[in-house]
Amino acid sequence: MDALISQLQRQFRDHTISLYQQGFLDDQFTELKKLQDDGSPDFVAEVLSLFFEDCVKLISNMARALDQTTGAVDFSTVGASVHQLKGSSSSVGAKRVKALCVSFKDFCEAQNFEGCVRCLQQVDIEYKTLKSKLQDLFNLEKQIIQAGGIVPQVDIN
Amino acid sequence: MTVEQNFVALDQFPAGMRVLAVDDDQTCLKILETLLRRCHYHVTTTNQAQKALELLRENKNKFDLVISDVDMPDMDGFKLLELVGLEMDLPVIMLSAHSDPKYVMKGVTHGACDYLLKPVRIEELKNIWQHVVRSRFDKNRGSNNNNNVGEKRDGSGNEGVGNSDQNNGRANKKRKDQYNEDEDEERDDNDDSSTQKKQRVVWTVELHKKFVAAVNQLGYEKAMPKKILDLMNVEKLTRENVASHLQKFRLYLKRISGVTNQQAIMANSDLHFLQMTSSLNGLDGFHHRPTTVGSGQFHGGTPGMRPFPSNGILGRLNSPSGIGVRNLSSPPAGMFLKNQNDLGKFHHVSSLPLNHSDGGNILQGLPMPLEFDQLQTNNSNNIRNMNNNNKSIAGSSMAFPSFSTQQNSLIRAPNNNLVVLEGHPQASPSGFPGHQINKRVEHWSNAVSSSTLPPPQTSNSIHHQFDVSPLPHSRPDPLEWNNVSSSYSIPFCDSAASTLSPPALDTTNPGAFSRNTDFDSNANVQPGVFYDSLQMRQSGNYGPTTDAAMLSSNPKEGFVVGQQKLQSGGFMVADAGSLDDIVNSTMKQEQSQGELSGGDMGYGGFSSLRTCI
Repeated sequence: MDALISQLQRQFRDHTISLYQQGFLDDQFTELKKLQDDGSPDFVAEVLSLFFEDCVKLISNMARALDQTTGAVDFSTVGASVHQLKGSSSSVGAKRVKALCVSFKDFCEAQNFEGCVRCLQQVDIEYKTLKSKLQDLFNLEKQIIQAGGIVPQVDIN
Repeated sequence: MTVEQNFVALDQFPAGMRVLAVDDDQTCLKILETLLRRCHYHVTTTNQAQKALELLRENKNKFDLVISDVDMPDMDGFKLLELVGLEMDLPVIMLSAHSDPKYVMKGVTHGACDYLLKPVRIEELKNIWQHVVRSRFDKNRGSNNNNNVGEKRDGSGNEGVGNSDQNNGRANKKRKDQYNEDEDEERDDNDDSSTQKKQRVVWTVELHKKFVAAVNQLGYEKAMPKKILDLMNVEKLTRENVASHLQKFRLYLKRISGVTNQQAIMANSDLHFLQMTSSLNGLDGFHHRPTTVGSGQFHGGTPGMRPFPSNGILGRLNSPSGIGVRNLSSPPAGMFLKNQNDLGKFHHVSSLPLNHSDGGNILQGLPMPLEFDQLQTNNSNNIRNMNNNNKSIAGSSMAFPSFSTQQNSLIRAPNNNLVVLEGHPQASPSGFPGHQINKRVEHWSNAVSSSTLPPPQTSNSIHHQFDVSPLPHSRPDPLEWNNVSSSYSIPFCDSAASTLSPPALDTTNPGAFSRNTDFDSNANVQPGVFYDSLQMRQSGNYGPTTDAAMLSSNPKEGFVVGQQKLQSGGFMVADAGSLDDIVNSTMKQEQSQGELSGGDMGYGGFSSLRTCI
């Protein structure tokens, strides 16, 4: 069992580090982890699921606003959704998503339809990628705990 | 509700601080909530601005602080910010992913006490409690001001010219005018002005200086609010603000103008002094004014701003040392003195001289005790108000009626005193009645005030006597002349003030003193302020000459401080309820000072007075 736990912990550590190194996560995620304690053991998971819900909602808003079939594209509406996504992604530490939002916003302000559409697609891909990676991480955590181990504190430096 | 009551427990604060968090983004809201909880605050969340308003309106005292996002679908965050500030007067922190300075500026102009960028870090949230403390602290100070017509305006705390925001911000500022030491600041009156309450104008020293300069430029008689407003050229100042300030100013001038007239006359002739003081009616000859305070009965012929014969006169007027001295010794007085900007004090002071000059109209036989009670109440209110930076003229106005009446009765004293004095010349070894009287008075005053002022020449003494604005002793002393004499005898401020320390005279009637002292102290302080502005007098006359800020802790108002000092120099003997007290005090003064020249004369005169009486 100990070997399993160690292995899981190692996997967990490696996975975490890679997420940071690949730019999926940033310091804000670390801060979130600090807020997690015995009083709120699933805090990070809860917040991230909220975030992904927001992603779904906002991306569909953007898609609707960018739908040319309904008429002229309202870039301000798109921009508002992008802005909100930027805020929430920065709050959870979704670094890549946030970076995309920045350029997405520029396209909105420039009223660059193609740029916006491109960004929208990228945002969609990006949040889904992050979601699956974090899911793996949470699963590892669960396995470690189920195996009786302790989830290691990963020092990202 | 006191500040303490608002907190769960003062010693636990900031723990338990009740925060309302508003953000339509559920992710951010969740994180914010957790962060706030981690800071040990009590958190309520909502993702709708409208719901937030409902929660706040439901119970205004339910929350200590509001944190709100800027971009929300149902309501603009800035709009919410304004409404919260207006209706509930709570500190609001803005939260946004916009780092654009213009958003930050918008937050500031709409009254936000802070602006945080997303992602919010816990370190930033750990300090937000300071905004609550600051807000409540300012409110408490502000609430001590007179509560008159309420004009609320969410302010960032700096007011100045015109409609400036209160220190406390919009909330609780129900006072019409709050005096603030801060410089003028303008509030961004946006299109929501219709929903906002009128801004409170804080007449700071600078603002008042501009006002006075404008009035001077226009000519006192011709000064109209609209023209003054134009000359002052201050944003956010309305004609109404200027009009009400002008009215108060006129009342003040009216009060002191009586003294000024006397001084002018005295400057010309010794006899005038006697004449004036000897007969109450005689005062009518001078700019007689109705004693009613706030009645605005300022006869056309007596402009408040007169071309004073000398720069010093006004200064002296402003340094009613006699009154001031007493007050100095008492804490409330001290508090007053600290409030340089307190216009209310100014008004108090002005009322004093007015009484003096309006000998003819002195309210005789008025129920003094009643006046005192009124006075005391007003004073206490005013004192509290004055202690704060924010003072309202209204508050001081309240005190006027009683104060003025009181003074009127006190005014009578001069007459009596003078009569007595007049009798003295004959008994005096010197053969010059007028001179003798003056000298005697002066000596007596010197003795009383224990100033080191050498016996001035006749003309000087006369001037001195007149210079000192006769501050009727606050106490309804039957021997009102005591007050008068003391006030007259107050030596020239410059010399007297520095050496004099609050006499022990006050001990006789502590109650009366305390009440009066408040006024006195105020009076002492205020006139100087106004006069300074008006006359551009050199501060040297009365301000700086005295020991530094003995009374005032505000370094900014050096000249006022100086003034106070002078006042202390010329304390009013009137405190003593009886002549004996005065004598005793005088004796003490003399003994302590040991500088009185012609002491014998003074004492002699004093005893003579006593016997005469």
